[in-house]
Amino acid sequence: MVQLRCIRIEALREEKMTWIGLAQMRDLAGFVETRQQLLTLKPNHRMNWIGFAVAQHLNSNGSKAVDILEAYEGTLEDDYPPDNERCEHGEMLLYKISLLEECGMVERALEELRKKEPKIVDKLAYKEQEVSLLEKLGRFDEGEELYKKLLSMNPDNYRYYEGLQRCMGLYSASGQYSPDEIDRLEALYASLSKQYSRSSAVKRIPLDFLSAEKFRLAAESYIRPFLTKGVPSLFSDLSPLYDHSGKADVLEQLVLELEHSIKTTGGYTGRVDKEPPSTLMWTLFYLAQHYDRRGQYDVALRKIDEAIEHTPTVIDLYSVKSRILKHAGDPVAAAALADEARCMDLADRYVNSECVKRMLQADQVALAEKTAVLFTKDGEQHNNLHDMQCMWYELASGESYLRQGDLGRALKKFLAVEKHYADITEDQFDFHSYCLRKMTLRTYVEMLKFQDRLHSYPYFRKAAAGAINCYLKLYDSPSKSSAEEDEEMSKLPPSQKKKLRQKQRKAEARAKKEAEVKEEANATAVSRSGKRPIKPVDLDPHGEKLLQVEDPLAEATKYLKLLQKHSSDSLETHLLSFEVNMRKQKILLALQAVKHMVRLDADNPDTHRCLIKFFHKVGSMLAPVTDAEKLIWGVLEAERPTFTQLQGKSLIEANALFLEKHRDSLTHRAAVAEMISVVEPSKKKEAINLIEESSNDLVSSNGALGLPVKKWRLKDCIAVHKLLGTILDDREAALRWKVRCAEYFPFSAYFEGSCSSAVTNSSYHQMHKLHENGSPNESSLPLSSNGNIEKLEALKDLVIQ
Amino acid sequence: MVCIRKATVDDLLAMQTCNLFCLPENYQMKYYLYHILSWPQLLYVAEDYNGKIVGYVLAKMEEETTECHGHITSLAVLRTHRKLGLATKLMTAAQHAMEQLLSYSDLAISLRPPFVLVIVKVYGAEYVSLHVRKSNRAAFNLYTETLGYKIHDVEAKYYADGEDAYDMRKQLKGRKHHHHHHHHHHHHGGGCCSAETKADEKPGSTEAKTE
Repeated sequence: MVQLRCIRIEALREEKMTWIGLAQMRDLAGFVETRQQLLTLKPNHRMNWIGFAVAQHLNSNGSKAVDILEAYEGTLEDDYPPDNERCEHGEMLLYKISLLEECGMVERALEELRKKEPKIVDKLAYKEQEVSLLEKLGRFDEGEELYKKLLSMNPDNYRYYEGLQRCMGLYSASGQYSPDEIDRLEALYASLSKQYSRSSAVKRIPLDFLSAEKFRLAAESYIRPFLTKGVPSLFSDLSPLYDHSGKADVLEQLVLELEHSIKTTGGYTGRVDKEPPSTLMWTLFYLAQHYDRRGQYDVALRKIDEAIEHTPTVIDLYSVKSRILKHAGDPVAAAALADEARCMDLADRYVNSECVKRMLQADQVALAEKTAVLFTKDGEQHNNLHDMQCMWYELASGESYLRQGDLGRALKKFLAVEKHYADITEDQFDFHSYCLRKMTLRTYVEMLKFQDRLHSYPYFRKAAAGAINCYLKLYDSPSKSSAEEDEEMSKLPPSQKKKLRQKQRKAEARAKKEAEVKEEANATAVSRSGKRPIKPVDLDPHGEKLLQVEDPLAEATKYLKLLQKHSSDSLETHLLSFEVNMRKQKILLALQAVKHMVRLDADNPDTHRCLIKFFHKVGSMLAPVTDAEKLIWGVLEAERPTFTQLQGKSLIEANALFLEKHRDSLTHRAAVAEMISVVEPSKKKEAINLIEESSNDLVSSNGALGLPVKKWRLKDCIAVHKLLGTILDDREAALRWKVRCAEYFPFSAYFEGSCSSAVTNSSYHQMHKLHENGSPNESSLPLSSNGNIEKLEALKDLVIQ
Repeated sequence: MVCIRKATVDDLLAMQTCNLFCLPENYQMKYYLYHILSWPQLLYVAEDYNGKIVGYVLAKMEEETTECHGHITSLAVLRTHRKLGLATKLMTAAQHAMEQLLSYSDLAISLRPPFVLVIVKVYGAEYVSLHVRKSNRAAFNLYTETLGYKIHDVEAKYYADGEDAYDMRKQLKGRKHHHHHHHHHHHHGGGCCSAETKADEKPGSTEAKTE
């Protein structure tokens, strides 16, 4: 049991209290005890009362905490607080009231809130607290009034609108409303719109609940002013609507009409005034993003190119084009374009970051790094990104290295992200006594909850998953540095071996000396300038030491545990758990993973794979000998029937059944095919046929523009290609698949589609270059200022027709 | 559209990412925690319809020996979300909250070890300050034209890359001893929030702050 340490209480003065022991603060009972002792010893110090109350609260004793705070209040004078403590006192009161709310004493909370109103400084917090209590008490009329008041203070907070709707009985979390409700909502927002004409929330929210003709009218009147003004985020704002059935089609029609109208009459339909030229550009900009979203990349590119031709100086256009190319499967071309955008505003970090992001997606790590450090502090530029906890960058780098198989560097990046999370966890310790003094107790408690959930945040999850994947790969194919090198060495004649060894030793010694010299230089710098030394030299810059870890699976398990604790509702967590535990031969843990996967998503292809692989492995295990093995056997016997997919069937039959259920889905067919190769290895041909016979159906006969939109996603097709090439090991089938997919995904660099940058004299690129230059005989082509090499390569073999 | 609301501790990681993406002046998470745990009323975020943080303002109360004033530590809006008036709305929300704090707070607590409690007397002036790069025209125009800031001073080589900064200030709504109320009509929405702040004025507290 972890002890709470604190400096001897008798000898301590409040200011010198250092809560080192609060590192183990989650020993709540101990914390309570200590705070009680402190209070007994020094009852006239405010902090001790508050500290004791907070301790009780954290120890799930909210009502006791309230009692303590009330007792504390009782010790105060009537005219308390003095002006210079009003803020703190107000915060304490709000904390007490929130405690009452938490304990379910809602009536009392409201009473207390209203009674203490003059003493509460933070008026906004007061109202927000009040409205929450009113709602809980079902006093909806009062709640409605208060939400309206809050809206008058901030008509841009859509949570107030939600609250208002709730109080009027007009809120549905799923967004489904009856026709009658829709009418009432319409009326509500019509009147709100008159009051808050400058707020776009009043106009945007109705687009969610309206449909058909009403939707079209509202959408049109919403969109027009934004196109005229030229708001780049219009599409992003409307994008949730694309998940509402039918609305995407309405929007398409609507905006195409606007485009047509502007092109023919210079203005919107039914309007006399002409639109400024930029309106057309922003309309095309919207359409490009629209078609991108709908998977019609050819049309999207056409639209954005038209926009660029219209006004080549607008950076947003290039950013969107870059995104389209990325979605369409050409990350290299996307990165080149993002770089072009970056060069148009070298002072803007946002475009720089976007460019770096694209470069990392295109696996151009060195270039990305060079570009990123343009905005870091001088000196140890690369370290600065780490010091500033730039996790998006480290994560994207790590993922790129992993894709490229550079496990050492990948691990270094993933572990760097993990370190930030560890540091952030440490940060809280400096604030415990600080918050008690500042009285920002509600936020303090919020922070503690945040800390407890810290590892559920996306960056950590991705970093942990990345690290685990690295360790799995490392386990499956141990690094070259030890095994293969030794093998190569043993083949050499002894004299050469000796020379090689000497060389190696010399190199190591040199590296060590360099590091020492650097350290010394740093140290002298300290003594001279008196400032803190620069960061110690990184002795493992490429993560080689990380690769030489004794037990990669043990390392992986460390991260796995955190994922299991904080992200147990994610299928990926359990998929990783399965992979790790199968390799560790931890049968029961692997079984648990499978069970979780079935619980979360039984029809998922990955779940199916794990289920079959698991029981196939179990089926091939030898009869149990030891007691431990017998125990495991027993558990397995008991557990197998709980899987309905397997009841009374062989694995082969279960596999076939899964296929029947999901005949039309490529990813499911691929999973079935893979499992055929596992349980019936002789039937590999059938497995491959199963995949090749899959048909890529149309999503819908969507408009006359561009290529028809089909079901298959690029990501899934790439996965199938890898499956054919590796596990199913049929080079020719893989090649056939590649050719087929190149048709479906002409922009995909992976499949070397005809329009992708991977195909050097793709007709798309030729046309594009001709377009850019105006004259087909121009021999020098525009390059971005950092001499983008990728573009050069692509143009080397350009044949001008 | 984009929701302007008070930041919560759960927003801090996203705010940090937004800051790293947009600005070269960055901070470690601890600094964000310090802000929210000291002045939770002053941090605001802009959240889009998809729940992504597309802008934020990080503000604090500056505790100097002679006066207490607000300070904008950092403000950023993603480039993709410009032209929506988000920066103005964020600043306005923070400034409004500062006005409230300045009405009541004279106390400054130094948090440097060894945790000595420092009580600071405050005199008159309530203002909010910020730094902006000399070359940042867009931001400069926002502060001067839309929000009413004025140049107070130039700080040479303020930024790490050697660029100078304008030290800018804006007077906030006067305290009780200012006898005329100017309503600062903030540029958000249609409602006037001054109706609210009026109610905050305590009738009996018009005496000037004493030593």
